[in-house]
Amino acid sequence: MTVNRISDEVWEIPPSEKAGMLVPARIYAIPAVLQTMDSGVFDQVTNVACLPGIQRYALCMPDGHWGYGFPIGGVAAFDAREGIISPGGVGYDVNCGMRLIRTDLTLADVQPRLERLMTELFRRVPAGVGAGGSVKLTRGDLNAVMVEGARWCVEQGYGWHQDLARIEEGGRIKGADPSVVSDQAVSRGIRQLGTLGSGNHYLEVQVVSNDRIFDAATASALGITGYDQIVIMVHCGSRGFGHQVASDYLKVFAKAMPRHGISVKDQQLACAPFLSPEGQDYFAAMNCAANMAFANRQVITHHVREGFAAVFDRSPEELGMNLVYDVAHNIAKVERYPEGDLLVHRKGATRAFGPGSMELWPEFRTTGQPVICGGSMETGSYLLVGTDQAVADTFGSTMHGSGRTMSRTQAKKQVRGEQLQQQMKQRGILVKAVSMSGLAEEAGFAYKNISDVVQTVERAGITKKVAELRPVGNIKG
Amino acid sequence: MPSSFRFLEDIALADIAFEAEGDSPEELFRGATQALIETMADPLTVTNSWNHHLTKTDEELEALLFDWLSEMVYWKDAAGVVFHEAPLTVTWNQGKWTVSGTLAGAPVNSQTQELRNDVKGITRHLYRVEGAGAHWRATVVVDV
Repeated sequence: MTVNRISDEVWEIPPSEKAGMLVPARIYAIPAVLQTMDSGVFDQVTNVACLPGIQRYALCMPDGHWGYGFPIGGVAAFDAREGIISPGGVGYDVNCGMRLIRTDLTLADVQPRLERLMTELFRRVPAGVGAGGSVKLTRGDLNAVMVEGARWCVEQGYGWHQDLARIEEGGRIKGADPSVVSDQAVSRGIRQLGTLGSGNHYLEVQVVSNDRIFDAATASALGITGYDQIVIMVHCGSRGFGHQVASDYLKVFAKAMPRHGISVKDQQLACAPFLSPEGQDYFAAMNCAANMAFANRQVITHHVREGFAAVFDRSPEELGMNLVYDVAHNIAKVERYPEGDLLVHRKGATRAFGPGSMELWPEFRTTGQPVICGGSMETGSYLLVGTDQAVADTFGSTMHGSGRTMSRTQAKKQVRGEQLQQQMKQRGILVKAVSMSGLAEEAGFAYKNISDVVQTVERAGITKKVAELRPVGNIKG
Repeated sequence: MPSSFRFLEDIALADIAFEAEGDSPEELFRGATQALIETMADPLTVTNSWNHHLTKTDEELEALLFDWLSEMVYWKDAAGVVFHEAPLTVTWNQGKWTVSGTLAGAPVNSQTQELRNDVKGITRHLYRVEGAGAHWRATVVVDV
């Protein structure tokens, strides 16, 4: 496959490379990152370039790797009148996303109580296979969660009103309609509010040292002060609920595609015209799942605050436990670009609006929108901000994490969970895991070097580094 | 070869894939069912305090296995359980395949069970069921 160099960070596959491509495919990667990308990325991003109504380019971010239909790291924008919507472009874990909570604590405060803190958090935040949440929902409650998202949680006492201004879309995406969500999705989701799940989902206690702050003014504006400051990162999504929504509508779309004259190169790119009844129903159901995910992270935040308060014997307010931001990385949203209203699909990709974006809350109009990128549990994560160049070049999108390079089965062959846990403890990272085999699957060597990935988006100008966050404690399902 | 399965290393970077085999459609279903059970938890650490009987029918064996495995994932979440076993039968009658079986397991308990992966769904990626006579095989990728 021909891959042309556009710049040191951008590579393009022309439409002549695959029959049916409507636009070129562009991959963001410095050469060292490009070499680590699996062949699935190239095949899948060019499949995406064939979908009806696609605008400009099918994009893949530097953390890209093979996914279902779209690659992980995939971004594609479709004309909101003539284009399609695809669950494979959103990701099955709808609104899987990242949340970052700041504190006024330092590593010196936390280290003597780290074991107790992680035990407390592990006890309070359910994780792993089939774990149920502490919030008991009625069907009516879940309907309210689907529509109100994190706002419902705050109204019920699971959070602070000021949290909402620091969540993408205020923690509540409009256009959610519970009547188009299946009973199966409801049954799967009704006991999962406030749970982490497993796989690559986690809750991490991290430290920000002074030498790892790259933009002190922006960091300060976002509440990041350095001096070994403790922050907490949460990575999870809409759990089985969101996956069931995706599965339900993949079936609906597979049946509807012939009627709409659509054929796709991969069953998992099943789609429907956005304005068709099927497309609108999926969009409304997806928004329900997105709101469920915002609510999920909000309840987890509440438990994290309670856990810290119990261990440090001070209220969460006294500990300064404000949100830095909460951002989705699996979603489709209508946004305005020079081409008009576009339905932007981001799958394993983060919205990265710059300071010039009027969609942002006022407090982010000088900094740009915070972007939270999770690395492996051994290496560290990054806080970044979006740029106006991202809006111009990548439909306001950037990376979401480091991206896997090794399968789970291979990773388990290289290390045992208990062995990894011990090694990490010796390096000052305390890990609590429900599943030791799941822990081994998430070893750092199974992921790309996140610094190379971050370097790509910074050099390309689509995101700006603010701070690096180093893990000291991790909870995994 | 009544039934067997093996996990595949290289076809699902972020998720889990397995191949199941059997000398009949029924044994194939047993192999795939066992693979999914073992993806979620070590069945030897799970007791039999919960069960649910299921019957599903489809004209296509491939669609039937997909629905059967998806139903197991559904009950894992809806009932909050993991499985010890799922004895089943597969029959062919009047142009349709029917799988009938009992999901048997226990509520999730991280203190007593060896829990593994929280499977979110069965995917269509590389999914296939093929075979005839005494050799049947399925490839399944599960999203975790």
